[in-house]
Amino acid sequence: MTQAPTQEREPVEGTCPRCGAPELRRYPVNSEGGWFEVVKCQRCLCSVSREHGPRLGPIQLLSDLL
Amino acid sequence: MTTTEPATSIRDLSDDEFETTYRADRFTASVIANRLKYVVEHMSTAFLREAFSPIIRDWYDFACTISGPPEHDYRMAVVSNSLTVFLGSMPDAVRNAVEEYGPENLAPGDVLICNDPNRGGRHVNDVLFTRPVFVDGRIVAFVNICAHQLDMGGTVPGGFSATKANTYENGLVIPPVLMWSGDAPVRSTFSMIFDNSRFGAMLLPDFKSMHQQLQLGERLVHENIDRYGLDAVLGTLRYTCDTSADRMRDALAAVPDGDYHGAATLDADGLDDSISYTVHVTLRKRGEEIEADLSGTSAQARTCINCGITDAKTALGVALTMLLDPEIPFTSGTWRHVDLVAPAGTLVTAMPPEGAPMMFWEASGTLLAAVFDALNPVLGERAVGGDYGSTNTHNASGLRADGSFWTSATQCGGEHGPWGATRDGDGDSYTVLFNLNNLDPATETIEHDSPVVVLRKEHAIDTGGAGRHRGGAANLKDSLWLTDAEQYLSPFRTKEPSGVGANGGRPGPNGAMWIFPGVDGRGPDALVATTDDVYAGSTPVAGVLDPRSKALDPEHGTYHHFGGQKAWRTTAGSVLRCLTNGGGGWGAPFERDPRKVLADVRDEYVSVEGAARDYGVVIVGDPHFDPENLRIDEAATAALRGPA
Repeated sequence: MTQAPTQEREPVEGTCPRCGAPELRRYPVNSEGGWFEVVKCQRCLCSVSREHGPRLGPIQLLSDLL
Repeated sequence: MTTTEPATSIRDLSDDEFETTYRADRFTASVIANRLKYVVEHMSTAFLREAFSPIIRDWYDFACTISGPPEHDYRMAVVSNSLTVFLGSMPDAVRNAVEEYGPENLAPGDVLICNDPNRGGRHVNDVLFTRPVFVDGRIVAFVNICAHQLDMGGTVPGGFSATKANTYENGLVIPPVLMWSGDAPVRSTFSMIFDNSRFGAMLLPDFKSMHQQLQLGERLVHENIDRYGLDAVLGTLRYTCDTSADRMRDALAAVPDGDYHGAATLDADGLDDSISYTVHVTLRKRGEEIEADLSGTSAQARTCINCGITDAKTALGVALTMLLDPEIPFTSGTWRHVDLVAPAGTLVTAMPPEGAPMMFWEASGTLLAAVFDALNPVLGERAVGGDYGSTNTHNASGLRADGSFWTSATQCGGEHGPWGATRDGDGDSYTVLFNLNNLDPATETIEHDSPVVVLRKEHAIDTGGAGRHRGGAANLKDSLWLTDAEQYLSPFRTKEPSGVGANGGRPGPNGAMWIFPGVDGRGPDALVATTDDVYAGSTPVAGVLDPRSKALDPEHGTYHHFGGQKAWRTTAGSVLRCLTNGGGGWGAPFERDPRKVLADVRDEYVSVEGAARDYGVVIVGDPHFDPENLRIDEAATAALRGPA
């Protein structure tokens, strides 16, 4: 059986502006508005940055290369 | 969107601030919101009245919404009272379809369609129809219908099967294309669908009806703009979404901070029973925000039981709404304070082309159950019992004596069943899954459209999970098939109880499916009894059953795989029996009011034996032949229940 997928969270330098924890991570999320690439504090979930991600997330359309 | 700064609540805005924000006073914004709600309900009613396809006409398998313009990020602001698996995916589906096609390429009178699950969720049968609403050359809104088409090609007539291996077997995938251009039909789009699907003669009038309803919706939105002004209508679209976000934020704030893990399991895919699929969710709640991480969920299935990310997102939104505050309006704002962390390639975030979604609501419903599993222990009295877990979908086809082809979809399996109990009362006994919201096809219609006789459609006794509030009863359905048939059966939750108990309540028992073969083209002389001794002569299709008696045996029985035969070939006269799972109970069973147990025995939800065993209530009398003279034996009940 294929291994269960896990979402990696890339460590980011700095501290949380809300709680001060040095626990910032970058990873994709889906929320209102679709996909976002976020940097969030892992202690308090404060979003330090949120940028729109690819429209379909991990799915890429061959026709986008036209 | 979750941010570093808390947003101001709508209720804390002064009247001036409200009017500045939403370009209308509070009263007017409420009036416009309700008038727009009327728009989608009017579209829905008209489509229901006109539809030819039974899954539209009898199941209400469609939804209507209004979305904001591109500069509002296409937020879904107004929804019809219909299918939640459609409504939850439509915000992303509309945005993804329009953005890919290009809003600058749309013109008045256009209708854009798309059915690709990877672009918008659900399965290929569910086609999204989107119509832009223009004012002075600018798109100010979209009116939308998403509707299940009876067939969209693929290897199984009607589509409902867990056995298809990939996108190509699943059916026709339509990218964003115009179906009407300036209100003129685009012949090539119609031909593409009709040349690749069955039952085109039924689809065509439904397509025309949807075009009419989209025109109606556009006209009614324009009436509101003419009456209240464009700014007020656009402000109201934002107001309705902000209301959902506000209320979800308040509901989340009431949950204690913490990390909560839940899981739920699907029995197997359509290939074989060597793999069970478990959805894991870790909910991390901090302040007014929550993050749901699906890491650890089983890899995508080998056949079409998967769902996509927008379906997973829908299930998360539905679960949080049901558990935390069912009054929260279901709009794009539902997810503003909710982040879904969704690794690609799981059962609920499947990737094309292998990770095909057909039975998508089964996978997303399992995520919903996992969220219940995570939060119920935290919620205490607000916990909710589980539902019957699977629509146990039936799909059959064959030839009549005159050679004509028939098909029956989602009518004669265990599509309807019970909900769990809550602090407010017993669970309903005949409804649809938490993440659906449909009608129940009339028996007369089922029998008119296909060569079948519905023999039983009844509550099964002692199947509601015991509790202070009882879970809804499982449904038992028998159908007699008058011609030879190929039957596709898809029950997914028979190994572990889906109707989990809440706040000390007990789970409802699991169900199963059996076929009683016809003999020489004839059915049984009488109804098949519901006692355990009838199953020895059956062909088991699904469930955990005793190897010899083939009756239910959840503790020591053997699992039977619904995909053991890709299509179950039955001869004329065969009877199909589908028993759903029972709903979960709420609260300690021995705390149930004995008078309610008496009523349950009188109504045959609970047997005399079950009343004593599960509730500690001794009922005297004959519930079947003398139901009005049943009584409670108070002394014997006190002895069974012990000291209070």
